[in-house]
Amino acid sequence: MKKMIVPLLLSALLTVPVTVLAKESTWISDKPLTLKIHLHARDKYVWDENLPMSKELFRLTNLQLIGTANKTATNSQEQFNLMMATGNLPDIVAGDSLKDNFIRYGMEGAFQPLNKLIDQHAPNLKAFFKSHPEVQRAITAPDGNIYFIPYVPDGKVSRGWWIRKDWLDKLGLKEPQNIHELYTVLKAFREKDPNGNGKKDEIPFFDKEPERLYNLVNFWGCRSTGSDAAMDFFVDANGKVRHPFAEPCFKEGIRNLAKWYAEGLIDPEIYTRKNRAREQLFGANQGGMTFDWFASTAGFNDSISKTVRGFKLIPLAPPADINGKRWLENSRAEMRPDGWAMTVTNKNPVETIKLFDFFFSRTGRNLQNFGVEGYSYDMKNGKAVFKDAVLKSSKPVNNQLWEMGALLPIGYWMDYEYERQWTNPAALQGIEMYAKGNWFVPLFYGVNMKKEERAVYDQFWPDIQTYMAEMAQNWVLGTKNVDKTWDEYQARLKSSGFHAVLNAMQAAYDRQYGKR
Amino acid sequence: MEEKLANMASEPAPFVMRLRGAWRGLVKDLRRDYLLYLMLLPTLVWFIVFLYMPMGGLQLAFKQYSAWKGIDGSPWVGFAHFVSLFQSDQFLRAIGNTLIISGYSILLAFPVPILLALMINEVQSQGYRKAVQTIVYLPHFISVVIVAGIVVAFLSPTTGVINNVLEIFGFDRVYFLTRPEWFRSIFIGSGIWKEAGFDSIVFLAAIMSINPALYESAQVDGASRWQMMTRITLPCIVPTIAVLLVIRLGRVLEVGFEYIILLYQPSTFQTADVISTYIYRQGLQGARYDLATAAGVFNAVVALVLVLIANRLSRRITRTGVF
Repeated sequence: MKKMIVPLLLSALLTVPVTVLAKESTWISDKPLTLKIHLHARDKYVWDENLPMSKELFRLTNLQLIGTANKTATNSQEQFNLMMATGNLPDIVAGDSLKDNFIRYGMEGAFQPLNKLIDQHAPNLKAFFKSHPEVQRAITAPDGNIYFIPYVPDGKVSRGWWIRKDWLDKLGLKEPQNIHELYTVLKAFREKDPNGNGKKDEIPFFDKEPERLYNLVNFWGCRSTGSDAAMDFFVDANGKVRHPFAEPCFKEGIRNLAKWYAEGLIDPEIYTRKNRAREQLFGANQGGMTFDWFASTAGFNDSISKTVRGFKLIPLAPPADINGKRWLENSRAEMRPDGWAMTVTNKNPVETIKLFDFFFSRTGRNLQNFGVEGYSYDMKNGKAVFKDAVLKSSKPVNNQLWEMGALLPIGYWMDYEYERQWTNPAALQGIEMYAKGNWFVPLFYGVNMKKEERAVYDQFWPDIQTYMAEMAQNWVLGTKNVDKTWDEYQARLKSSGFHAVLNAMQAAYDRQYGKR
Repeated sequence: MEEKLANMASEPAPFVMRLRGAWRGLVKDLRRDYLLYLMLLPTLVWFIVFLYMPMGGLQLAFKQYSAWKGIDGSPWVGFAHFVSLFQSDQFLRAIGNTLIISGYSILLAFPVPILLALMINEVQSQGYRKAVQTIVYLPHFISVVIVAGIVVAFLSPTTGVINNVLEIFGFDRVYFLTRPEWFRSIFIGSGIWKEAGFDSIVFLAAIMSINPALYESAQVDGASRWQMMTRITLPCIVPTIAVLLVIRLGRVLEVGFEYIILLYQPSTFQTADVISTYIYRQGLQGARYDLATAAGVFNAVVALVLVLIANRLSRRITRTGVF
């Protein structure tokens, strides 16, 4: 009998609000309204109307979203294309990495322009765009319309520099404050056997993503990327689109990287070690320094110190570059190419835009960031706070939320508080230091190109990008000499349409972000 | 005149009769062997559904594809995709690399399963034979991701077995996976390790089907085992070898991209970048199905020509062919 009572009570609790309580203030429609949504994200997540989050959304807004995406499919991009190709559109389409598709097919007539709707029915979105004009510009299509509402991350910091404090202490060194000290420290890591095993097996700098190696050119005052992705375009102070790998400065930076690589300061296997580099090299007490995400990297202090005595990894403020300036290219993007859009066949555009707006309101943000109130979080002093059971579970908090149906890449505004509440203290210390230092250079969110611009870009850019990656790697490995091959490299860029690509992007940039 | 009249009168008759005859023959066959035809049916359906019906989609190669407008609604662009492919140095390089890698693997990897089958066939002890077969088949069932992981670990410049051995013999350590000159050897070598055993099954089956009477009479004539292998076994499986070689030639431009993507580096693109990996990278810039289809059409045309040539050669030399 006792066993029966608990589920009975629970189900009663869950159904009471819908049946007994009168109209919620957040209701979007007086009559229950059903909308179909295609959401297939990150190759595995789909919208499921039976998850707690979807039910809570129904209770709060009186809108029920029914998922139409194939639950067993494992390729989101393919599912999107398939759904478009059948011509049988749902009311809403959502997912990750769909920005270009939303804009392209929006201009071809598959999605409704949202500008007017936002203006008339979406006060939260309107206020958000007013305070974040760069996000609005980044999602505006070449025809001036907005076709989708993006996922907007919150918080400033993404990756940072990490160094072995126990090794520094052992060798009597201080945390390096500039490029010269950094060189001395890495050299000492290599030469002076900080792990004390008598072998010269230390790997001073390594990274699990080989392309992050190029971030090191920052220390010679050069750019390596313009966005949080590696090897991306950047925009200079005069509003000119440029590519870091074609800059004269890059020659200087990469020459030094090659020197560091030859001296053994950079992991000799950096290009093949990949994903498990941190586990391998920290675990074997061989790795000294890396550039990576805060939360996951800080976690190694707990896991590795059990096997490596005295292991201590600390966040390091970016050492000043050759010109004495501290700066960092990587920060958290204010907009991801994820989100949702309204199809032309949607018969309830007003209700739909109100739904989009809901996820930029406090209640909607709490729902999407913290899950269901009373189930995964409580309100304390007007703030959402995760329940202890959620924080102390053996499952990571974000996994629990994904399972509830929250955090899916619909158009919403992240709340950094959600992440802060379960970030470990060592990482928080680094994040706060980086946020306070505010060494970030602005990110470039890319351009939305017209058909003709896109054609130029598609024709030339993939080849050029391949060539750049090829040459950069050869220079670092020392198989090609940067001083001897630089002119040939520049000539080849010129002859393979590099300037046409830059011009296409520049035209798109000027239209989208305004000429400066 | 008479002849002409006779022709006019008699010509349709044999044709209609032949047709009728063929139809009757078919009906008779169907009635007699309906079970066999029933077993053929799924394969026929599979061919029609998965190979013939999608052929309509090949028009994508000549269109600017938009998923929203659909295959029929997308505008025609003529040979634009082919032009842009052939204007790219990297695509031409990829064709070259594909041909070289395929050529080497036909030359080096194709004979290995044959040799393996011949050797396994000569083993007398049943237990030993089974053990060997199991060991050589096993790698086939390992996912390429794992195989690539094993290859990376073995070739690691700091901890890899190969480099440790090299060092013992006084050679320098080599970062193999970033050296373009090593890529093909690594790719083909590990490919042989993975697939040779499994591919030998077909040849073993061919050997099993050789009439034992041939060996018995050879034994009576006092032939050595070597002679029996070169004079009986090998000639008897030549038709199988020829057919498989023709099929293999048809796939000359298909070098699977998964395994290459797992092993290659920008610094080895020079020798490692093949058509499929090139298209894969192009596609990353935004699902360019039209361009990929154009490359597919090109592949198919080349493959068709190669198969026709190979088949003709095979017919001339061994009197067997696929068709």
